[in-house]
Amino acid sequence: MQKFMLVIGLALALAPSAALADTTNISFLTHWAPDTVAKLEAAAAVYSKQHPDVKVTVRAVPFGDLLTTLRASGGGADGATIAGIYNAWLPDLAKDKLLAPIPDAMGTEVKADWPAGIVGASSANGVLYGFPNEIDLYALNYNKKLFDAAGIKVPPKTWDELTADAKLLTDKSAGKQGFGLINSWTAGVIHPFASLLASDGGALVGPDGKPTLDSDASKETFALYESLIKNGYSDPTMGTSNANTTGPFLDNFVSGKTGMIIMANWWESALKSGMGSNFADVATAPIPMGPHGDKPHSISYSWMTVVNAKASDAEQKAAWDFLGWLDGPTSGPNGGSAMGDILISMGILPSRTSDAKAFADKLADPFLKAYLDEVPDAVPFPVVLGGQEFSESLQQHIEAVQFGKESAADAASNAQADAADILTRAAQ
Amino acid sequence: MAAIPNTALLPRKRESLLLGWASGPRNRDSRSRGNDAVNKSTHRLRAAPSIVVMLGPALLLLGIFVVIPMLLTIWLSFQNWSSETGFDTAHFVGLSNFQEIFGRASVGRDFKNALVNTALYTGGSVVLLLPLSVLFGLLVYQDRVRGGVILRTILFSTYMVPMIAVALVFSKLYAPADGPLNEILGAFGLPGSAWLSSPDTALGSVVLLNVWQQVGYFTVLAVAGLTQIPGSVYEAAAIDGAHAIQRFFGITLPLLRRTLLFSAVIAVINAVQVFEPVALITQGGPVGATNVLTYHIRRVGIERSEGGLGSAMAVTLMLALIVMIVALFALARRGGDEA
Repeated sequence: MQKFMLVIGLALALAPSAALADTTNISFLTHWAPDTVAKLEAAAAVYSKQHPDVKVTVRAVPFGDLLTTLRASGGGADGATIAGIYNAWLPDLAKDKLLAPIPDAMGTEVKADWPAGIVGASSANGVLYGFPNEIDLYALNYNKKLFDAAGIKVPPKTWDELTADAKLLTDKSAGKQGFGLINSWTAGVIHPFASLLASDGGALVGPDGKPTLDSDASKETFALYESLIKNGYSDPTMGTSNANTTGPFLDNFVSGKTGMIIMANWWESALKSGMGSNFADVATAPIPMGPHGDKPHSISYSWMTVVNAKASDAEQKAAWDFLGWLDGPTSGPNGGSAMGDILISMGILPSRTSDAKAFADKLADPFLKAYLDEVPDAVPFPVVLGGQEFSESLQQHIEAVQFGKESAADAASNAQADAADILTRAAQ
Repeated sequence: MAAIPNTALLPRKRESLLLGWASGPRNRDSRSRGNDAVNKSTHRLRAAPSIVVMLGPALLLLGIFVVIPMLLTIWLSFQNWSSETGFDTAHFVGLSNFQEIFGRASVGRDFKNALVNTALYTGGSVVLLLPLSVLFGLLVYQDRVRGGVILRTILFSTYMVPMIAVALVFSKLYAPADGPLNEILGAFGLPGSAWLSSPDTALGSVVLLNVWQQVGYFTVLAVAGLTQIPGSVYEAAAIDGAHAIQRFFGITLPLLRRTLLFSAVIAVINAVQVFEPVALITQGGPVGATNVLTYHIRRVGIERSEGGLGSAMAVTLMLALIVMIVALFALARRGGDEA
């Protein structure tokens, strides 16, 4: 009897570890807010029910820490198995062999159901490294109530109209600025700048991969910023951002102290959360065109989910299976994907073609319409080696103009010199 | 000639016999000194194994987590190496990394800016923390002052709050448009400040945040220093007719010198390591005004995986810190000699 009990006890003691030995644990690193993380966790729970041998854990960090977390832990097998990354980081991460190429069968599916440009932006040296998720663009956001009070009937279509409207909307005594600029957050600084630049016929980087920050269009864009600041229509102290991409720049628009701002579609959820019923006062319009532009052009950028190349074979397989399900047409409502459903909830445009059809009704949201209308003419943000350093350097010069530390002319020239040095060094 | 005692009849230690035989007749003092020296040396030899056993674990940990990483960083500072690859991919580039961080290109410019910012932050923190800690220390040290214990508790409680919480709360306090600090200033008819939202005030705002958080800790150190000063010295000074100011500058400050030196060293080391407020609130901006060395090294060494450059920056920081601490001690020593 004692031996029998001993055997039973040993079996019970070993059973959990036996079960654990069959379970593959994978982690998903993201920068999403807690309520969106909850949605991802719910989707992961559904997947785990269907696949009891796989457990998915979600790890969230502030956006400002995402790349550092990825790099600091990505050099080993203990890093996150899956990560959501900004496509501008792809070339450097792929060069350092941190990312696993997508399995061939899944790659074929991605090429079939995603726009070619999006697939291209998710590839480095012709190798596709994951599932594209979202596409983000920029548009002019403005407060209709403030426009009515200032007697402005329609949103500005040109830079001259932008400046004139900003003047009407500015009221220093009430702490109001006509046009909001952002600082202390790389994407928040350079993407609106790049959108205005593209709408003036310019580009950050030419077709040969060399920077063009000293072009006439670039000088004009720097000069526009300088003019808005010197005339007092933009107050840089109202545009600070923190590591969570919130802060005074958001608070001032939400509270009606900023008349217009160029921002991305994904901040719809932050606006709704901050403004409540006053969100109905917010409208969107295309990027105002510069004097040498042919039409409004927004910068577009995308995010994708990738798999850690240093994870074990079992973990990589489980991760690809999970991503294939998460981004597939069976995991979400109406033939859409669970990922598409999560993205739409944040006001983010899913890039999968079948998701655009499945969520057509939600994409008909008046706030998102201006963004959707810009997709055909959007200019992808350059994805190059050294892209992050290039962006941070440009950010410094744009902020220097905002705070009067550099003239527009000097900023263009210095930004060009720095960018040339950075991209040359990165290519070596 | 003195009578030589019959040594065979006297109990002696073997070492003493050896010494006595080897050196010949000697007077009693030198022989006993010789015996003491031999005894100590023997004691040390016998104690050696236990010394190794007791110090070994600590030295091992120090070696693994401090010395080896330090030596590795110094080695990497002379290499071209991506922090995402193995050490075998590092290749020697001599002083090239150091030339780059002190060069004219954006790498050098950003590093020098971070170095200056860190120096200003450190200087500002120390200049504010030391006098405030002495002032608060004197206040809470008074037996006759009511609420001294409560004040001491309140002062030290700021040090117990995690920096992440301090940073997040201060980011709201510092809001230029409707933050409480500007509201208070407005209530007194004073103009508001841009605080973290302007490159001219952002670094100072982070310094104030740091001072608020750390002043309690340094006040405790000051109080500890004050307890070391004998009351009789003050009594004697009072008898000689010295008033409060004279007693403070003539007695308190000089006798607090060692405590202040210790506080200065700790304050410098803490300040140089500033990271959370910058990472959470300002990300080094605006216009790089709060870009400090630790944040910049993370950006270069980890985000951009330029491990060689990042290591060169870390080595430069370490050397600057060593020079600063040595200078502090030299200054303190000179002040002590003059006294």
